[in-house]
Amino acid sequence: MDELTALLASTIRNATPLAFAALGGLFSERSGVINIGLEGMMLISAFAGVAGAQGSGSTVFGLLVALAVGLLFGLVHAVASITFEADQIISGIAINLLALGGTGLLMVLFFGSGGTSPRIEPFSRIDIPLLADIPIVGAIFSQSVLVYLLYALVPITWWVLYRSRFGLRLRAVGEVPEAVDTAGVNVFRLRYIGVGLSGMLAGLGGAFLSMSLLSAFTEGMTNGRGFIALAALIFGRWNPVGAFAAALLFGFAQAVVFRGGIGFTVPQEFIEMFPYLLVIVALVGFGGRAVPPAASGQPYRKE
Amino acid sequence: MLEMRGVTKAFGSTVANDSIDLELRKGEIHGLLGENGAGKSTLVKILYGLYKADEGEIYIDGEPAGITTPSDAVDRGIGMVHQHFMLVPTLSVAENVVLGAEPGQGPRLDIAAAERAVRDLSERYGLRVDPTANVGHLSVGVQQRVEVLKTLYRDARILVLDEPTAVLTPQETDELFTVLRGFVDEGLSIILITHKLGELLGVSDRITVIRDGKVVDTVVTSETDEAELARLMVGREVVLQVAKEDVEAGDVRMEASDLIVDGASGEAVSGVGLEIRSGEILGVAGVDGNGQVELAEALAGVRQPRSGRIELAGEDVTALDSAAMRARGLAYVPEDRGGKGLVGEFTLAENFVLKTYRRSMFSKIGWLLRNAIRAFARRRIDAFDVRPPNPQASAASLSGGNQQKVIVARELAGEPDVLIANQPTRGVDVGAIEFIHGQLLEQRERGAAILLISLELDEIRQLADRIAVMYDGRIVGEIDAADATDEQLGLWMAGRGGPDEDQPTGDDRVRS
Amino acid sequence: MSGDEIEEVDEAEGRRSIGEILREQVVAAGRALIFPAVALAIALLVGVVVILITGNSVIEAYAALLRGGFGSRQALGRTISNATPLIFTGLAVAIPFRGGLFNIGGEGQLFIGAIAGVWIGLTMPGPGPLVAFVAIIVAGLAGWIWGAIPGLLKIWGAHEVITTIMLNFIGINLTFWLAKNPLSGEGAVPGTGFVPEGVRLTRLGGGLGAAHYGFVLGIVAAIVAYILIWRTTKGYELRTVGQAPGAARYAGMSVAANSFLAIALGGMFAGLGGGLESLGTFGKVSVPFISNLGFNGIGVALLGRNHPAGVVLGAIFFGGLAAGAQQMQFSTGVPLDLADVLLAIVLLFVTATKLVEYLLGRRARTFAAGTRLEKGLAG
Repeated sequence: MDELTALLASTIRNATPLAFAALGGLFSERSGVINIGLEGMMLISAFAGVAGAQGSGSTVFGLLVALAVGLLFGLVHAVASITFEADQIISGIAINLLALGGTGLLMVLFFGSGGTSPRIEPFSRIDIPLLADIPIVGAIFSQSVLVYLLYALVPITWWVLYRSRFGLRLRAVGEVPEAVDTAGVNVFRLRYIGVGLSGMLAGLGGAFLSMSLLSAFTEGMTNGRGFIALAALIFGRWNPVGAFAAALLFGFAQAVVFRGGIGFTVPQEFIEMFPYLLVIVALVGFGGRAVPPAASGQPYRKE
Repeated sequence: MLEMRGVTKAFGSTVANDSIDLELRKGEIHGLLGENGAGKSTLVKILYGLYKADEGEIYIDGEPAGITTPSDAVDRGIGMVHQHFMLVPTLSVAENVVLGAEPGQGPRLDIAAAERAVRDLSERYGLRVDPTANVGHLSVGVQQRVEVLKTLYRDARILVLDEPTAVLTPQETDELFTVLRGFVDEGLSIILITHKLGELLGVSDRITVIRDGKVVDTVVTSETDEAELARLMVGREVVLQVAKEDVEAGDVRMEASDLIVDGASGEAVSGVGLEIRSGEILGVAGVDGNGQVELAEALAGVRQPRSGRIELAGEDVTALDSAAMRARGLAYVPEDRGGKGLVGEFTLAENFVLKTYRRSMFSKIGWLLRNAIRAFARRRIDAFDVRPPNPQASAASLSGGNQQKVIVARELAGEPDVLIANQPTRGVDVGAIEFIHGQLLEQRERGAAILLISLELDEIRQLADRIAVMYDGRIVGEIDAADATDEQLGLWMAGRGGPDEDQPTGDDRVRS
Repeated sequence: MSGDEIEEVDEAEGRRSIGEILREQVVAAGRALIFPAVALAIALLVGVVVILITGNSVIEAYAALLRGGFGSRQALGRTISNATPLIFTGLAVAIPFRGGLFNIGGEGQLFIGAIAGVWIGLTMPGPGPLVAFVAIIVAGLAGWIWGAIPGLLKIWGAHEVITTIMLNFIGINLTFWLAKNPLSGEGAVPGTGFVPEGVRLTRLGGGLGAAHYGFVLGIVAAIVAYILIWRTTKGYELRTVGQAPGAARYAGMSVAANSFLAIALGGMFAGLGGGLESLGTFGKVSVPFISNLGFNGIGVALLGRNHPAGVVLGAIFFGGLAAGAQQMQFSTGVPLDLADVLLAIVLLFVTATKLVEYLLGRRARTFAAGTRLEKGLAG
C-alpha cells in the first residue's frame, strides 16, 4: 500500500517536468518550429529560478525569473530560426549548448564556483483537504503547487488548441503557413508566440526540477529530460492530453528506476532506454503513425 | 472600382511589371491574359499585398488603397483564389474558411457559427460544399470552391482568380464560369487570370493583355477574336500551324499493354495500352493529375508498374530501370525540370551525365572521369546553344528555357529511338518553345518514335500525328490528329463520351 | 539497334588550366567562409561582453585563449587531441548531409564505437598492434550498425532527426550497461578495465602530449571522405539523392539505398572516432564517459560547410577553443564555460541565411549552399 502510494507520488513528480516541457514543445512544433532546445530551456530556467530565489529570498520571485529566462531563451530560438531563418534543428542544439555553457559561467559569477548551488526554500507540498486522504490515489493530491498548475494547464492547453481562435491559427500555421498569411494573419507573430510559450513552459519544467523536486541547482541537472519531453510530445502525437499521458508513462519508468525496481529486476540502463524505444515504435507506425505538423522544420519566407 | 496605375516591380535585374495600368469596372469579368512569365501573377500578388510594388499606385473607388499586407487587401474587399490553393488539409472546410476572421466571443472559437455561416454562403451561391468535411479529402474542384468561399466569407467585392482552370476539366471550367457570372449578377467584380485565350472569349467582358511585364492593350471581348488576342499576347502573328513534314510512320518501336501503375495515393494508371511507331508523334492530352506522370514514368523505367508489359523494339523491358532503358535507346524528358530533370546545385557538366555516369567513357571502376564529362558537356552546350556556355555553371543559375535545353540536349544525345516528353515546354519562353518543338519534329523526321504528353491541347494538336486522351488513369479515346475536334477531345478529357459512359466525373475524384 | 551511341569525346577538351581551377577554388572558399565568419564575429562580440562582466581584460583573455590553443607545442597537442574525435563526428554529420540526411546521432554512434573497440581490446588475444587494428575496425563496424538503424527506420517512414536523437540515448545507456556489467573492470571508478598498453594508440610525440596517431587517421578519413563523395560514381549518386531525390529516381538511382548508405557511413565515422577515443586517449570506457563530442560534431560539420576539408578545420578550431579556454581560466579567471557559450553562438548563427542577407544583400543567399537541408520533419 505505502509502496504503491510512494510509487504513484514519485511517478507524478518525475512526470511533471517532462509534461511541462512537452506542452512547451507542443506550442512550438504546432506553430511549425521544431524545438530540440527544450533541454537547454529547462536547464537555464532551473538555474534562473534558484538564482532568483537566492537573490530575493522569495521562491515565487525565483519562479518568475525562471519564466522570464525561459521566455528569453525561447525568443533566442525564435529570432534565430524564424527571423534569421537559421536551421531550426541547429538552432535548438545551439540553445542546449548555450544553456550548458551559460549555466556553468553563471554559476561561477553568481555563486563563486561550479557544481551545486546553495540550497533554497523549495515550493512546499500542499495536501488538498479530503482528496489527499484517499488511499493510494491521495498521492495525486499531495503535491507541490506547480503540479497543480500542471493539472490545470493540460485541459487549458487542450482548450486553447482546439477551441480558441489562436489555437485554430496555430494548428494552421504549423501545416500550411501560406494559408495563414493569405488569410491576413501574421505568420511570424504566431510563431514567435508559439516558441515564446514553449520557452516559458519548458522553463516551468526546469524550475520544478530545481525548486520543487530538489531545492538547489546542479550543473547538467536536466540530464536529458528535455529530450524525453520531446519523446513524450511525439509519442503523444502532438496532442496535449497524449503528451501528458506519455509523460506520466515515462515518469513511471523513472520512478521505477529511482525506487529500485518493482519486484523484478531490469537494469536501470534498460529502463532509461524505454521512452526512446517507444518513440521509435510510434514513428514506424505501431498503432497509427505519428505524423509531425507538415511545415515544421521549414522557415517561412515571404518574397 | 479598382485602378492600378504605373505599377512597377523588379526582381534583381528582371523587370516583372513595367508601369502597368489596369482598370476594373464594377460588375465586370476582366480577363488578364499573358504567357507564362509575362508578369500576371506578380501583378496580382502586388494587388493582394504579397509583394510590394517599387512604383505605382492602386486606387479603390477613387481612394488610394494603401495595401501592404494581405489583410489590407481583405479589408478593402479584395478576395484572391491562388493558383496553388491556400488550404490546410488537416482542417475542416469551415475552419479553413473562417481562418483569420473567426466567429466567437473573446478568445473562443465558435465552430458551430462558422459552420452555419459557410453553409449559408454555400447555399446562397450554389457552391454545394459540406462545411464539416475534411479539406484533405476533397477533390480539386471542390477545394477550389472552398477557396472561393473564403473570399465570400470575407465579403469580397473584387475577386481575383489566378489560373483557376489549370486544374479543371472543360466541363468543370464551364461550371466555374457559370458560378462567376452569378457573382457578377450579385454585383461582384472579377479579375480572371489565364494564358488560355479561348476561355476568356467565352466569359469575360474586357481583356487586358500583358507581355514582358508591360500592358499591350485592353480590348472589349465582344470586339476581338482569338487571332488578335494571340497576336497581342505573343507580339507577332502566330503561326498557329507548325510546319510539319509528312513522314510515313514505320515499325512499332515501343508497345505497352494492360499497364497498371501505382501513384502516391493508390492506382494512377488503370490498364493502359499503346504503341508508338517510328516517325510519329503520339500526343497524350488530358487534365493534370489523370495518370500522365505515372504513365510516363512507367514507360521510362522510373516507376515500376504493378502489372502489364512494356516492350521496346520487341524486347520485354518491363522490369528495367531508367538507366537500362536509356541504354536501349529510350530518352525521357520529365515534367518537373527543377525536381526531376536537373540537380540545381550541380554543375551543368554533372547534370549532363545524370543517366550515363556509369558508362566507360565517363567513369572507370567507380571513378568519375571529370575531364571527359566536362568535354561532353561542352559539346552539347555548343550544339544546343545553352547560355551561359559554361559547363561549370550551376544548373540553378540558368533560365527556365536554358535549363530545359540542357535536359533536351542530354536526352537527345546518341539519337534515341524512342522519346518520351512530358510537358517539355512548360513554363519556358516562346523562343525555347519553338526550339523544343523544332527538335521534336526533327527527331520525328529522323525516325524516332515520340510520346508527347501535354496539358496544352494546342501543343498536342500542332505536333501530334495521333492523339490519345487520358482520364482517370485510362486512355478514354484515341483519334487521328487530322480528324480531331476540340469538342470531342474536351468531352474525353472530362471522362465523358468515352467507351464507358458512366465513369465518375471530376468532382468525385479524390486528390490527396 | 540501340540508338544510344554517344559520340566519343576527347578528354583533353575537358581539361582546365591550373589558373582556372585555382580561381574557382579561391572564390568557392571565400564564399564558403562568409557564413562562419559572420557567426564567429557575433560570438566574439558576445564574448567581449561576457569577459567585461567578469571584470577581466578582453585582450588578455582572448590572448590567453589563443595561446592556450595554439601558443605552444603542449597547447597544440591538447588542441589536436581535442580535434581528433571531432574530425570523425564532424564527418559523421557531413557525409549523411551530402546524402540529404541530418545525422544527430553521432553521440550514440560514438559511444557504441567506443565500447566495441574496448571490447575487442580487452578480450582479443594476440599482438597489440593487430588487436588495435581489429579493435578500430570493429569500432567502425559497430558505428556503421548504429547508423544503419535510422537508415532502415527511414525506409519505414521515420524521420532520421528524431530517430537519431532517440538512438543517442539508447546507445549511451547500452554502452553504460556493457561497461558496468559484462565488461566491468576491477577499479573503484565504474566502467571497463584498461585495455593492455600494447593495444593503445601510439602517441605522436614531439612534445604534443596526449595527441595520438588518431589525428593522422582523422586526416586520412577526411581525404577518403572527399574522394568518396566528389570523385566516385557512388558519391555522385549520394549527392544526387541528397540534392534532388526526384532527379535521382529519374536517373535510376535508388534513393532508399543511398540514404541508407549515407547515414550508415556517417555512423561508421562516428564509431571510428569513438574507438580512437577509448583506445587512444582513455584506454577504457568509464561511466560517465566523455560527452557532447557527437553534438559538437554537428557544429564542426556546419562550420566546415559539410565539406571534409572544412570539417578538419572546424575540428581544429573547436579543439583549439576548448584547449584555449583552460588556459584562459587558469591565467585570467574567466570561466572556461565561455568556450561553450562562444560555440553555441557560432552554431546559432552559422546557418542564419536571412541574417547574412541583411548584412550583405540578397546575393548572399546563394552562399548558404552546404549549410542547410530545406525540408520538414514530415517530409
